[in-house]
Amino acid sequence: MSAFDYLLNGFATALQWQNIIFAFVGVLIGTVVGVLPGIGPISGVALLIPVTASLTSGLPPEAAATSAIILLAGVYYGAMYGGSTTSILLNTPGESSSVVTVLDGYPMAKQGRAGVALSIAAIGSFFAGLVSLIGLVFLAEPLSEVALKLSPADEFSLMILGLCALSGLAGKSVTKALMMTVFGLLIATIGLDNVSGVARFTFDMPELYSGLEFLTIAVGVFALGEVFKTILERDVNEGEIAKISRIIPTKEDLKESAGPILRGSLVGFFKGIVPGSGATLASFLAYLLEKKISKTPEKFGKGAIAGVAAPESANNAASGGAMIPLLTLGIPGTGTTAVLMGALIMYNVQPGPLLFEDHPTIAWGLIASMFIGNVMLLILNMPLVKVFAKLIETPPKYLIPMIVAISVFGVYAVRVSVFDLVLLLLCGLVGYFLAKNDFPMAPLVLGLVLGPMIENNLRRALTTSNGDFSIFIEKPVSLVFLIIAVLWITVPLIMKMRGKKVIVNEE
Amino acid sequence: MSKTFDRFASLIFLVLGVAFVVGSQNISASAYGSHVGPNIFPMGLGSLLILLSLRLFYETFTYKQEGKKEKEKLDYKRFLIILVGALLYVLLLEEIGYVISTFLFLFVGFQTMQKGKWLNSVIISGAFSFGVYLLYVEVLDGTLPGLPTWLGL
Repeated sequence: MSAFDYLLNGFATALQWQNIIFAFVGVLIGTVVGVLPGIGPISGVALLIPVTASLTSGLPPEAAATSAIILLAGVYYGAMYGGSTTSILLNTPGESSSVVTVLDGYPMAKQGRAGVALSIAAIGSFFAGLVSLIGLVFLAEPLSEVALKLSPADEFSLMILGLCALSGLAGKSVTKALMMTVFGLLIATIGLDNVSGVARFTFDMPELYSGLEFLTIAVGVFALGEVFKTILERDVNEGEIAKISRIIPTKEDLKESAGPILRGSLVGFFKGIVPGSGATLASFLAYLLEKKISKTPEKFGKGAIAGVAAPESANNAASGGAMIPLLTLGIPGTGTTAVLMGALIMYNVQPGPLLFEDHPTIAWGLIASMFIGNVMLLILNMPLVKVFAKLIETPPKYLIPMIVAISVFGVYAVRVSVFDLVLLLLCGLVGYFLAKNDFPMAPLVLGLVLGPMIENNLRRALTTSNGDFSIFIEKPVSLVFLIIAVLWITVPLIMKMRGKKVIVNEE
Repeated sequence: MSKTFDRFASLIFLVLGVAFVVGSQNISASAYGSHVGPNIFPMGLGSLLILLSLRLFYETFTYKQEGKKEKEKLDYKRFLIILVGALLYVLLLEEIGYVISTFLFLFVGFQTMQKGKWLNSVIISGAFSFGVYLLYVEVLDGTLPGLPTWLGL
């Protein structure tokens, strides 16, 4: 079967009525998550994992996994649409990948062109979503075929590369990022070892036999961490919300933004495929690129429509692009995709080369649903943008305690244990203080997700080599991965030492 | 960057690293059919964590003198009330049931965030706790601790 046939089958899955609803709910909640201050895409997805788990509990396993992941991915790319709304109307980005949109979005709003800015952002996001999906369709098959040929040693090195890629660019200090990665890998070893069945670091506590639950930790560090930050730092918007008048862009607006949208989509897509770079960096680069090639760079920062179109397209394309290494190689390149991967594993679905072979319904159903979801988002965001803008006014008074309650409900519904709830609060506390002091959380979660797989591959590789570690540098593919991994960490360090500025990614 | 926090954190992670290395000594070394037992991975990672913590500790000496910037005022009072509230909430969840504990937590939370509008707080906390319970337990057949039996309802 060709990619096209698979895609058609995918549409057959995505167009089942329950999956249409799941996609719709996902993108709707995603938009809300993007608009509401205080929850970003990563905490939004983490919060919804347990909710989807209970929603899909009546379905057969494969269908449940498909529907759940359709909803969760919808939250992810939906949030990219919603994030622009607060940037433009309130001068405050709803999530970090819309930081650059503020630069020109808010000035546009002050000139009375808020509606146009919002609709250009929606159109750009839509186009970018399509671009990255087409890329996904064409790259998925060949990439996973290559990935299938990898030996355990190669796979181990590839995962190390993934970890290094995320750590090398995350946050302000590489040392701290690496510490978080290693710590994530370490806590993944708690529990029964699945090769030998030996208990590790369980201290005879039955709660620890199955290990620390990924879900509890992700919801804790991301959702509760954000909540604590909002309370402690009184992180509340008090700006004036700009009025929305005309929504439909003029022909001139469209003409002016066509180029930036196209370039932004391409930049975002390729940036998204590279693990560790993420949507924030993509939107930043797209903005810089437009400013550089623009004939009127002085207009940027004062309400240039290109300054909205390019970064908003780029962050959406990047979130689509980031799905490629996740689905084909099993390497999540961003914090949010790491959380998505954790969700798939919860459903006993292993993302990676075998995904397209073992679970074509899930893989292609998801891809097709992203087409549908993007259409829904365009329809939702163009006429309803005024309604979403109202959400900004939600008083944090009600929002904050409710997020705590939803986290508690979610974790309890899946785990049914008070131990996990206490752990949840603890993770929230630790997460807040660590993140506040530039210890990035995404590498920790990534380490936690990848830990068992890395260990399995390590042990499988060492078993074939009779315990000889040189197998990792003797296999050419593995060696190449390791060299890139080392470069990924050292090159930015060397550049920093030479006094060059290194752009980092903060999610 | 806070020098004090980073030093403190590097020491804690150092201790954790040592604990994992020591702990992995007690795990049996080899598994059947494998040359690499369940102890290697945590032991290696623990050692790595030790090295990285030492590196961070060393780095804290190179931090530039922090300018005496105004210390941001953190809202500890509200934070502590909500944190303690949340802790009581999770500890009492199974004792007094989901609906009552959630209602109480939300009500306290709303009032801590901003005093006043009692009626709104009661209505929203009530709607949330009952709504989630009904939806999850009645419609979706999930399990949540119900009302405590000593209420006799």
